[in-house]
Amino acid sequence: MNTDVEILLREGMERFTADLRAPAGLTRWVVRRRRRRLALRATGGLATALTAGAVALVAVVVPRAGHGGTGSAVLTADVVKRVDSALTTADPGDIAQMTVTTQRPALPGGTATTITSEEWSYGDQWRSLTNSSSGHPVDDEGFGPSVGYTLVSYLKREWARMPGLGYPAAPATPVPSAHGCEPVIAALPTLLHPGLPMQPGIAGLGFAAGLFSASSPPATAARALHNAISCGTLTEAGRQNVDGIEAIKLTSRAGSPISETIWVDPGTYLPVRVVIRSAGGFPVTQQTADITWLPPTAQNLAKLTVAIPAGFRRVPVVQAVLPLLQQAFARSLPAVGAG
Amino acid sequence: MAAERSITELERFLAERADHLLRTAVLLTGTREAGEDLLQTAVERLLRRWRRFDGDPEGYLRRTLCNLAIDGYRRAGRWRQRERLLRTGLPQPTDPAGDVDLRDALVRLLLQLPARQRAVLVLRYWEQLTDAETAAVLGCSEGTVKSAGSRGMTRLRELAESWDEMAAMSGRNGKRS
Repeated sequence: MNTDVEILLREGMERFTADLRAPAGLTRWVVRRRRRRLALRATGGLATALTAGAVALVAVVVPRAGHGGTGSAVLTADVVKRVDSALTTADPGDIAQMTVTTQRPALPGGTATTITSEEWSYGDQWRSLTNSSSGHPVDDEGFGPSVGYTLVSYLKREWARMPGLGYPAAPATPVPSAHGCEPVIAALPTLLHPGLPMQPGIAGLGFAAGLFSASSPPATAARALHNAISCGTLTEAGRQNVDGIEAIKLTSRAGSPISETIWVDPGTYLPVRVVIRSAGGFPVTQQTADITWLPPTAQNLAKLTVAIPAGFRRVPVVQAVLPLLQQAFARSLPAVGAG
Repeated sequence: MAAERSITELERFLAERADHLLRTAVLLTGTREAGEDLLQTAVERLLRRWRRFDGDPEGYLRRTLCNLAIDGYRRAGRWRQRERLLRTGLPQPTDPAGDVDLRDALVRLLLQLPARQRAVLVLRYWEQLTDAETAAVLGCSEGTVKSAGSRGMTRLRELAESWDEMAAMSGRNGKRS
């Protein structure tokens, strides 16, 4: 019996820890942590660290608000620190591949819609492929340093291209960059197109921030997520299963006009899902981005290229882009004049 | 340059042993996050001494992990909080003979033991150390190790016996595998 229990205990320990792998680069991580700790000590110690962490949690789109106890703040600061480090490593190390689903409520006389697109972001390159509900491509667009911005419309069988990085210029609405931070979904340019309702005075939803001009490319997904998380509105809210991962949930504080939630893989501390919901007087529109981080192999890098199908007609970029802009701004701006 | 070479040596050592040490740390603390924290703290302590370190790094890290786990448990009850989180994530033993394996139940109970008892059992049955080696790691006498280990194992055996009884009452054989 004794031996039995001892063997079973040993087997239980083996099984309980079977999937554990130490984070890669543990030594370097510890070296950086030690440097940070020494720096913090030199500049005022723990109080500074907690203040930095707490300030970092107050967001982009959300006014500062009260939050949970010190334990919660410390836990959040710890998670934010790890995510921050992981995203720094991932930019531009890994390709962010995102499946973005936008669910819009029915407008008067209309029907509710769900749009799904696949996005890829890596360094200065970005691509978004929007599919119809039947899975056929509708729009394929993206930009990169070599070819600039490209849009392919499968519905109209036409394509357009312009030099430079970023989304074609539009009359930019100044972004009231709350607390000096960028909205998290500036990382997800496609989130502009379906047109989440913009709430005056709020820089949320990346809407205005996404009016990229060709000379002002958007942040990479990793960088924008990094900015949002490290200066954020977010607080740690326990664990939730995301595609089999017991992910760490970071969510906007209570009272936020825009609800942002980010789930983080506890193994890599990289975001695996972002959900943004509008609120405050608008029909709730929700956008979900499921994120996979891919190594930049040749095969994966090829996913960033917008292919122009044979037989498609080239049109001026304004002609191609205008419908998208009109769709995006129909309910938020009085006029649109794509440059 | 010498410092860089030393760091490289540490990296090489951790590349080989960090997985195992993380598993030890998780068994001592109960969760992956707490285990990673513990391991990183221990590595940081080793790092401070690394250039002049003359000894067995694994032994040092194992000792530091145990001491930090026991001290942390004493100081803040933080591990207990994490254990609660862990317990909620484990299957509940509604049907001891069927749904939940006795191995899982033993580990769950292990994580509820006082930190020193747990450390002794982890070192004895996970790290496969002798009583004398365990005592050296924990900085206590062999007698302390034996008594702590005995108390811990008594709890685990009680669980195993009640498991068998419950299994028998539910009309099944007390499957232990």
